[in-house]
Amino acid sequence: MRRRIFLFLIILTVLMSVLGADEFKFPLKPDSVRFAAIGDMGTGKPPQYETAQQMLKAREAFPFEFVTMLGDNIYGGSKPADFDRKFAVPYKPLIDAGVKFYASLGNHDNTNERFYKPFNMNGESYYTYKKGNVRFFVLNSNYMDPKQTAWLETQLKDAGNGDWKICIFHHPLYSSAKFHGSALDLRQLLEPLFIKYGVDVVLSGHDHVYERVHPQHGIYYFTEGASGELRAGDLARSAITDRGFDTDRSFMLIEIAGDEMSFQTISRTGATVDSGVIHRTIR
Amino acid sequence: MRAKRRVPYREYALLVALSLAAAGVLAGQVAAPNKEQTNDAAGFKQFMGGVEEYLKLHKAVEKQLPALKNKEELPEMIAAHQQAMARKIREARPHAGPGDIFTHASREAFRHVIRGVWQDPENATARTTLRQGDRVKGVRLRVNGIYPDAIAETTFPPTLLQKLPALPDELAYRIVGRDLVLVDRRANLVVDLLHEALP
Repeated sequence: MRRRIFLFLIILTVLMSVLGADEFKFPLKPDSVRFAAIGDMGTGKPPQYETAQQMLKAREAFPFEFVTMLGDNIYGGSKPADFDRKFAVPYKPLIDAGVKFYASLGNHDNTNERFYKPFNMNGESYYTYKKGNVRFFVLNSNYMDPKQTAWLETQLKDAGNGDWKICIFHHPLYSSAKFHGSALDLRQLLEPLFIKYGVDVVLSGHDHVYERVHPQHGIYYFTEGASGELRAGDLARSAITDRGFDTDRSFMLIEIAGDEMSFQTISRTGATVDSGVIHRTIR
Repeated sequence: MRAKRRVPYREYALLVALSLAAAGVLAGQVAAPNKEQTNDAAGFKQFMGGVEEYLKLHKAVEKQLPALKNKEELPEMIAAHQQAMARKIREARPHAGPGDIFTHASREAFRHVIRGVWQDPENATARTTLRQGDRVKGVRLRVNGIYPDAIAETTFPPTLLQKLPALPDELAYRIVGRDLVLVDRRANLVVDLLHEALP
């Protein structure tokens, strides 16, 4: 009898985790901003394709409108075939469904990717765009020259306090991964601006893991650098780590409605590896 | 009643002389970097002169080609534009070599400023940036050669970048090994090289 109860509990646990894997916890409010985030994906290898398939599947339940790309969009070359194999083909069903992609440049990207129309960079290596009540600032963290920092400061200042401010760039200011880790020099330059002008969320890639760190000075930092590449076991969970995942590829889904941001990170197999809600406080 | 101690003139003169000498030494210490800064400014001015000359050439070549303004959905057109730019620039400066833009005076200025950042304990993060980057090994770059797509772009330490002369959008600095590389972004072409720029 005890063995049966034990067996029943195990089956129940397995069933709950399987059923919970595809459960999306988004409020799906009208007029909310819905998007996905992928990083370090442009390998052209099966895991990228499988992750892209999982994104398509997720879109049935969570109809996101656009995708932010956190850099390393096209690894190993910029020949026309590379653009096809590492972007146009794996994401074709999403592109065909009208999903827009907004790219940022990683250290493996050719700077001329900014002219590739599906990346929506308008020929610029750093740019800004707005969706609903969210202002996105896409930076080129490979080359943070004085001109770019001055541009960022002006843009952040002009954006005021009404909208969400989300910064997107390749190198994470906070990362517990062993291979690269936190971009300290970049942090020295950018963090004071983020704090001064009330940036809410920062999305980066570069380290081939997923990590969400505890808010730093009120700012939420995510690293999603495992949407194609993966450095399994590279995450050395540290005091800053809130949640991490480094055993498979993943992507993020995000919904922003009013002052609430819901997020869910999904693995290549469809399991939810992280989720939560961020409440915005105007600083 | 305390007797006033008289300072003999000889002691007073010695005191003044020592003070002046100390002030002189201190003034010398302050003046020395100023001289170096002046030299750096002159070197960078020379460098920027070369950059402006190159930029004229770049723009002239670009005018000969169909404009690339994000109308190009086809990667073939982006690649073709990049290759055509590189070819025409090479044709326009067939004898280009290291030191054309990184002139002697500017080389000293770059090395001095980079060394300053590298030796400054407050700028340790600049060195860390390079250590954290993807390793670039066995790459031999040459002026007028293509910067290989297959290698990662070394992240340029932002705090160092703030101290070097600002380049126009068409050009960028890169670090490969210990070398400082001047790259044409559109043509993905190595414009000049400064060997052993980093300590």
